[in-house]
Amino acid sequence: MFYSEDKKQYSVLNRRTFLLYLLKVSFFGIVGWRLYNIQIKDSQKYKTLSKNNQIDVEIIYPIRGKIYDTNNIVLASNIKVFDVYIIPENTKNINKSLNELNQIIKINFSDRRKILELSKKVKKFQKIKVLENINWSQLEKIESNKLNIDGIFISQDYMRTYQFDNIVSHLIGYTNKPNREEVELPFISNMPNLEIGKDGIEKSFNPNLIGKSGQREIEVNSYGRVIREISRQDSQKGNDIQITIDLRIQQYALNLLKEHKAGSVVLMDINNGNILCMASTPSYNPNKIIQKPNKEYWDSILENELSPLTYRSIQGLYAPGSTFKMVVAIAGIIHGIIDTNTKHFCNGKIGLGDRLYHCWKNNGHGSMNVSDAIKESCDVFFYEISKKIGIDKISKVAEDFGLGKIYDIPLPNQKKGIIPSRDWKKKKYDESWYPGETLISAIGQGFVLTNPLQLAVMTSIIASNGKNVMPKIIKQNNEIEFEKLEKYQNAIQIIKRSMFKVVNESKGTAYNSRSVSAPFAGKTGTSQVRRITVAERESEDFRKKEVEWKKRDHALFVGYMPVENPRYAVSVVIEHGGSGASTAAPIAKEIFQFTKNLKI
Amino acid sequence: MLNKIQNLNYLLIFLVILISFIGAAGLYSAAGGSYNPWASRHLIRLVLFIFLAIILALINIKFIYQFAYIFFILSLLLLLSVELIGVFGKGATRWINVFGLSIQPSELIKITIILALARFYHDLKFDEIKRIKNLFFPILILFLPFALVVIQPDLGTALSIAMLGILILFASGIRIWKFVFGFFVLILSIPLSLNYLQPYQKDRIFSFLNPEADALGRGYQLIQSKIALGSGGLTGKGFLEGSQSYLQYLPEKQTDFIFTLIGEEFGFIGTMFIILLFLLLISVCFYISIKSNHIFGRILSIGVGSNLFIYVIMNISMVSGLMPVVGIPLPLVSYGGSAMLAIIISLGLVLNADLNGNLKKIHNA
Repeated sequence: MFYSEDKKQYSVLNRRTFLLYLLKVSFFGIVGWRLYNIQIKDSQKYKTLSKNNQIDVEIIYPIRGKIYDTNNIVLASNIKVFDVYIIPENTKNINKSLNELNQIIKINFSDRRKILELSKKVKKFQKIKVLENINWSQLEKIESNKLNIDGIFISQDYMRTYQFDNIVSHLIGYTNKPNREEVELPFISNMPNLEIGKDGIEKSFNPNLIGKSGQREIEVNSYGRVIREISRQDSQKGNDIQITIDLRIQQYALNLLKEHKAGSVVLMDINNGNILCMASTPSYNPNKIIQKPNKEYWDSILENELSPLTYRSIQGLYAPGSTFKMVVAIAGIIHGIIDTNTKHFCNGKIGLGDRLYHCWKNNGHGSMNVSDAIKESCDVFFYEISKKIGIDKISKVAEDFGLGKIYDIPLPNQKKGIIPSRDWKKKKYDESWYPGETLISAIGQGFVLTNPLQLAVMTSIIASNGKNVMPKIIKQNNEIEFEKLEKYQNAIQIIKRSMFKVVNESKGTAYNSRSVSAPFAGKTGTSQVRRITVAERESEDFRKKEVEWKKRDHALFVGYMPVENPRYAVSVVIEHGGSGASTAAPIAKEIFQFTKNLKI
Repeated sequence: MLNKIQNLNYLLIFLVILISFIGAAGLYSAAGGSYNPWASRHLIRLVLFIFLAIILALINIKFIYQFAYIFFILSLLLLLSVELIGVFGKGATRWINVFGLSIQPSELIKITIILALARFYHDLKFDEIKRIKNLFFPILILFLPFALVVIQPDLGTALSIAMLGILILFASGIRIWKFVFGFFVLILSIPLSLNYLQPYQKDRIFSFLNPEADALGRGYQLIQSKIALGSGGLTGKGFLEGSQSYLQYLPEKQTDFIFTLIGEEFGFIGTMFIILLFLLLISVCFYISIKSNHIFGRILSIGVGSNLFIYVIMNISMVSGLMPVVGIPLPLVSYGGSAMLAIIISLGLVLNADLNGNLKKIHNA
């Protein structure tokens, strides 16, 4: 049609083409500049981001240390279990995943709420424990359905286990999830799923037993799936702990306690203070607390009016009764109020002010010196001498013999008890001390309260001729030399002879429990849990009568073995056991014989 | 015939092959070090389409000139049929199946737009260009496909059609004030057009404005692609070592985001190399245009070069966060048959224009 030869047109076109080319080159320049900024200038920033993209830090939980008895028998260790976890970010809808899981294994409502609550708090891609210690059939069911439930995975973990169920439960305690305050503790700061000790040794030694967490850097893809491990710092296993308890004696003692509803047996090695046995009944099974669901078991413990969680050996407070008389006698001797020849006549009661104070033996013991008074546990003798000694001197001696103290042993919630004095009463009740209260205190009643461990320590100090024996629960291999309380030497010799008579001479209150194979010395105690009425006292046989269990007296016995160069000291307390002679002393005898036979 | 084959612009062919090979390497890496599923097919297509392009180069240019409008109308019908399938069929689609090959008519229409405009300006006397009434036909050629693509909705392609039109109209010598006027019309229409955007398109635009606000949501792609590019640094992490793509943080790494993978593995040096190759390829088109003795060849070459330019600039701007993610592949590098076919065929037309650059007379009566 036509030829496009117009020169003018071509010059316009050339100019436009050139402009267009310039435009394009400049656009390429802009893009190039942009890439320079991203790839060169800000490269470091993006390199870091890229690394964070891929690398996730996973905490490796440490394995909790084991607990051994004195003979290296394992008391607490860990078993491998399978737990089910969920990672909220990996689910499309966490509720949906939990619903699907719930169809396979029931998740109770409160647990579920906790999981949902936690899912809002945890860091990105943190796992949350959903189910613990699932059994094989559950494991199989979840494994076969796992692909259908997103965000769910199974991991092998360790679960605390206690080999001897309820035998050492009070002492060792148990582990559980940390509560809100405990989560802040420094040793668990980065391990929200960690189970920590809640009682006993497990609690006191949390920092040692837990160990150190490790961590591994893992490369994850955008779905949170682990591609490979980049670095790994293994966790450090917690330290093992060896306690002084001899499982055999502990087991034996608990067996003896089985006949009684509640009580405690403490056996100490007086040479080093090691507690060989510290059994308390009723006890609980920590394994049943650890294994979920535990609600039923937990409720049964809490509803039990004997409160199985109470460690009676250190948390139970009892009037020491006649076991306190040694302290009074020692106070009398060192203050020169009595000597071996001092005698008092017991006709069954003495009067002070307008009140009568009775001896347990209604028609009286007759003429008594200190030795007889301990052997036959005459109350009137101690009423008489306590009037002269005074409460403050008695309480000073009691404290020297380890009473009214909390010991430096790693067990939580020890109860201090009460060793009364004028000052104490003034502070506590804002009242002055009445002379009659001294009398009552002298036979270990009234305000006086001690725990069974304190009684065992008191006995150890007596048996060791006044060494300041301190109880130990953690086994240490170094020799311990306790300081000797020199001023009590003479008095203690007199008291020990008397304590020998209690068990080994006729008329001694524990004569029926004497042992040929393992001769021992000791002192019975019977502490009233209520005031005895005049009518009862006159009925003469009020002690023999079958009284309601709760109203019965506590039965106590403290003693040591062997008689010469004693090695073991014991305290036995049976709640509402009747009398020390009938109930507590036989247990002490069995414990001594059993311990001697072990030939430790 | 043989003479023609000898005179083919082998620099252009070499550039196409080189860029496509880099694409294949990227696809090999994107598949985790495997020819399957992308790299092998990419190379097969390359061979096939190059062959097609050479055939196209050898055809008489008069034939192409004569059928320019026909091609345009056919591709417009194809685009319309896709639209109708979308309306009467199972929801929106951009694809049509031709002899077993999924073709995106919106890619093809860009070439026929170039052809139609090239013919229009070839036929138009230079003095006539000034007249406003002669603006009507080119705008119609641009507006029909633009409108069809907008309602698909394919924002990226619509935008590239508009840009292509502007560049060609500019190259053909339209008065500058008309562009200024058109620019103001465009600015004024932005608020209006926002109302017609699909929600996901609005999301994309807003996430472009502030990607960090929602790193795991809408801004995710952009942040991840910037991380990939940036972490590559100057020299890159090395072939097959790109952790972003390897760990599947990169979205659509084999298609629109392949450039970031190359940036991650070959660094700034790699990305600059690709950009320079494209600039060279576009320069070749422009050289052919300037050299051409007829308007048809000139507009055709400039159009194809501009089309290529639009693809490249939009794609790289998109993955480097200079513009919203609109779904434009990187020509010859990204996986995908339609775009590759369109690009290589259009370059075949440029080859043809190159061979026939000396032709004085295109249309004999």
